[in-house]
Amino acid sequence: MNILSDIATRLRAVFFRRAEEAELEEELRFHVEMETEFRAGKGVGEREAARQSRIAFGGVEQVKDSVRDARGTRPFEEALRDVGYTLRNLGRNPGFAAVVILTLAIGIGGTTAVFSAVDHVLLKPLPYQEPGRLVRLYGRTTEDPAGHNFLSPVYFGAYRSQLSTAEGVAAIYTYSSVGADIGSGDRARRVRLLYTSANYFDVVRVRPSLGGAFRAEDESGPGIEDNLDAALVTVISHQVWQDNFHGDPAAVGKSLLMNGKSYQVVGVMPAGYEDPIAGAVDAWVPVDLTSVTDPTQASNHFLSAIARLRGGVSIEQAQSELDRIALRLTDQYPGQKLERARLDPLKDDIVGSSSLALELMLGAVGLVLVLVCVNIANLMLVRSSERTQEFALRSALGAGGARLLRQLLVESLTLAIAGALAGFLVARFAVSAIVVLGAGTIPRLNTLALDPRLLGFSLLLAVGCAVLFGLTPAIRAARTPPGDALRDQSRGGTSGGRAVRFREWLVISQVAMAFVLMVGAGLLLASFRALGDLNLGIKPEHVLTFELNLPGARYDSTARAAFFERFAGEVAALPGVTAAGGISKLPATGAYHQWGMAVTSGPLVGDAVRGRTGAQNRVVSGDYFRAVGVPLLEGRLFDARDDNRATQHVIISKNLAVRLFPGVSAVGQTLSLSHGSEVIGVVGDVAVTNEGRADGFVYHPHRQFAGDRNWPLHQVILFTGDRATTEAAVRRLLANDDPQLVVYHPRMLDEAIGKGAAQRLFTLRLLVAFAAMALALSALGLYGVLSYGVKMRTREFGIRMALGAARGTISGMVLRQGLIVASIGVGFGFLGAVALSGVMTAMLFQVSPLDLRVLGGAVLCLAIIAGIAAWLPAHRATAVDPRSALQ
Amino acid sequence: MATENGELLQGTLEMLVLRTLAHEPMHGWGIAHRIEERSSNVFLVTQGSLYPALLRMKRRGWVKTEWRITENNRRARYYALTASGRKQLSVEHGGWVRTVAAINSIMDAHWAGAGA
Repeated sequence: MNILSDIATRLRAVFFRRAEEAELEEELRFHVEMETEFRAGKGVGEREAARQSRIAFGGVEQVKDSVRDARGTRPFEEALRDVGYTLRNLGRNPGFAAVVILTLAIGIGGTTAVFSAVDHVLLKPLPYQEPGRLVRLYGRTTEDPAGHNFLSPVYFGAYRSQLSTAEGVAAIYTYSSVGADIGSGDRARRVRLLYTSANYFDVVRVRPSLGGAFRAEDESGPGIEDNLDAALVTVISHQVWQDNFHGDPAAVGKSLLMNGKSYQVVGVMPAGYEDPIAGAVDAWVPVDLTSVTDPTQASNHFLSAIARLRGGVSIEQAQSELDRIALRLTDQYPGQKLERARLDPLKDDIVGSSSLALELMLGAVGLVLVLVCVNIANLMLVRSSERTQEFALRSALGAGGARLLRQLLVESLTLAIAGALAGFLVARFAVSAIVVLGAGTIPRLNTLALDPRLLGFSLLLAVGCAVLFGLTPAIRAARTPPGDALRDQSRGGTSGGRAVRFREWLVISQVAMAFVLMVGAGLLLASFRALGDLNLGIKPEHVLTFELNLPGARYDSTARAAFFERFAGEVAALPGVTAAGGISKLPATGAYHQWGMAVTSGPLVGDAVRGRTGAQNRVVSGDYFRAVGVPLLEGRLFDARDDNRATQHVIISKNLAVRLFPGVSAVGQTLSLSHGSEVIGVVGDVAVTNEGRADGFVYHPHRQFAGDRNWPLHQVILFTGDRATTEAAVRRLLANDDPQLVVYHPRMLDEAIGKGAAQRLFTLRLLVAFAAMALALSALGLYGVLSYGVKMRTREFGIRMALGAARGTISGMVLRQGLIVASIGVGFGFLGAVALSGVMTAMLFQVSPLDLRVLGGAVLCLAIIAGIAAWLPAHRATAVDPRSALQ
Repeated sequence: MATENGELLQGTLEMLVLRTLAHEPMHGWGIAHRIEERSSNVFLVTQGSLYPALLRMKRRGWVKTEWRITENNRRARYYALTASGRKQLSVEHGGWVRTVAAINSIMDAHWAGAGA
């Protein structure tokens, strides 16, 4: 068979249908005329000939019909007719179509967007070669196996040289973030440095795209402390290469001024490269690892490490080798006999904090998707029951079962496709919304895009659901003899039991799922409020903060000590500024510089257990305590007396004072840190994290501590006026003092603290959106079932009213039915919430997963919604006019 | 073959139409008339089977159509055989000859022992 001529004939038949019909008409007329002429020629009278030829021809329309059949375009033409019929049909019932399309749009769009986010952040591999083999090494002790501590250089060195199950172990200095001022003069800006071991680039398997990496001897470089004799080398980011060298390939070998010192550029990293732990980095500098052989450094923990395991090596194998190495080291360093290390897959390490939130979201998405399917099923079933008579009538009039089935298929598909299109638009919008909502708080979210496979998945699910439940009336019509269905109509019987019962169960499951989602959202909301109300020990409102670094090349320790005090005084004197100071790490932004210490006076002297402790150490300048609202409880704050000539002074937090000096005043007592220190004051407790984790604090005056290392200090400025005005005034002041200094990352203190809270807020917003969706869907479901019930029982209500039932009784019946369904749903939902309470606990802050206020709120909310959904049909039931209902 | 009242079965009709058109292009009535005439009015070609058959043959690419003016100045759709139509004709003709020979050999054979 010639396919081309077949297609050509069929296409012509479809697209030139009218011309085709006209030609057929003409051809057949010609035939009849020829026949007539022929017969007339044989001597029959003309009229008789015409009559005979028409008889011989048969019915013209039948002939036409069989020719049309032969065209092979019948199914297509009928499908077109079905679509036209469907559109007219849906147009008569726009509410139904709108609800189905809206439900599909929300279901497909919302779930796809969130699914994409989860997949992107949680499931996609890290952007490194064979990322599954990358692990992070943490220090731990035998007493705290789950610890996530830094490594000492000695232990790092041992692991790097001895761990044979790993291809390489690299060190990264993430102990504190290190910035550098790049360039000089007006063009100076602050960049992010990352100190790494020389083999870092081999472990991540990303080599500089231009030039080379560090050499092993670079590790004896200047490192973190200033070591002016060593050669200074750096690998720069693609961005710095563009900004400072205009992308010149000859940049390798040239020098770059950082913190006033000249570094030789040895390599340029590829565009877009981010460190797995530190994120975006502007310049890599070799970390000083001369101390790996220094036994006195065995207890100085400040290195992070990542390793690449050899192919085929499991984490457990590597871990057991790591344990053996650590055990051997205890012979060498008896003081560290508790010291061990642990391995975590790097991916878990990075997404760990957000994975719980994302899994929670995945659960919510699943629930909503099920809700959508249930709702679609419900709507389709209600509609199909409404149309039982229509189908019975059509089938009685001769429409074949296949014909009815196809009609319904076309209807369902039309709705599903419209819903899918709307869903796609919603998904596009929701993805941009998620990116905006989660920017900066969820790692790697900024590159989020809609995943076509996921879109396909939810499209398939929703469309499949619509089609499946859309076809039920045809199946039912096929099962019911048309006569029965038609008779049922005339009797106007009370609602047909089984179908209604099934739909009620659907609504019950909807209410249950909506309840679970609402409880989840409510708990997060309560948790978020508890977090907001949390007393961190500071007053972070109206405090402007930025980091200020004094380049070591131009400022020696004396100059630095003097500068920070003078600057704080000048800022405090600005109009609208109440107090100003600086600190080495902002409060409630995490642990840092946890040093061990022992008391050298007071009741616990000599107590090897209670007299020793670790605490958070901070270096402060200016009027830090007043600027962030930490109250002085005893003694005095730092002032000009605490300088180089005085003994080392410290201020400690209240909880540390109680712990170290029980029953006596801490003021005047002495401590041994790296050197003996005298306590001159006690201040209020401050949280270490923004979730309120407490720890003891030791504050050192920068005046006395400037020589310890070059501290970049976070300036904190308490002001009363406008932020922009204050910031501009501070910038002018600094430019006046030293135009080369950089105001790095200015922001408000509450903003700087709130990062974890922002992530929680992100989760919360999404969950609230889902809960609202679930609520709307279950309200729609309830409303659909009840109003259908009312419609079916119009006649029954008419009879009851004619027999004297009060309108209140009728509406009460409907209302009661709705509330019973809703209550059963809430009951199941409560069981679901109890089952999920274990999962929720980890996400909550100071809220029980079965918090009564939250549970009560969800019940109340559902009761109101169910009440409204039931009241509308109940009201309609009372509007039934007995006379018209009975006719 | 044909039904009792002389109406041709589909496959047979198509073969006869192909054979008729092998002589010259014709319009529908001409085809029907020629077949009836040649079969001495044994076969009856109804329009209800002729025109669908012509359309099917056109879809298969055996015939092509063209509107032409007839001898007595009327517009009519003429059907003409294509190359693949000619090939089809020879295939069907061969098949037909074999079928007839086979049937004849059964029908005309002397059946020993049968009947009598």
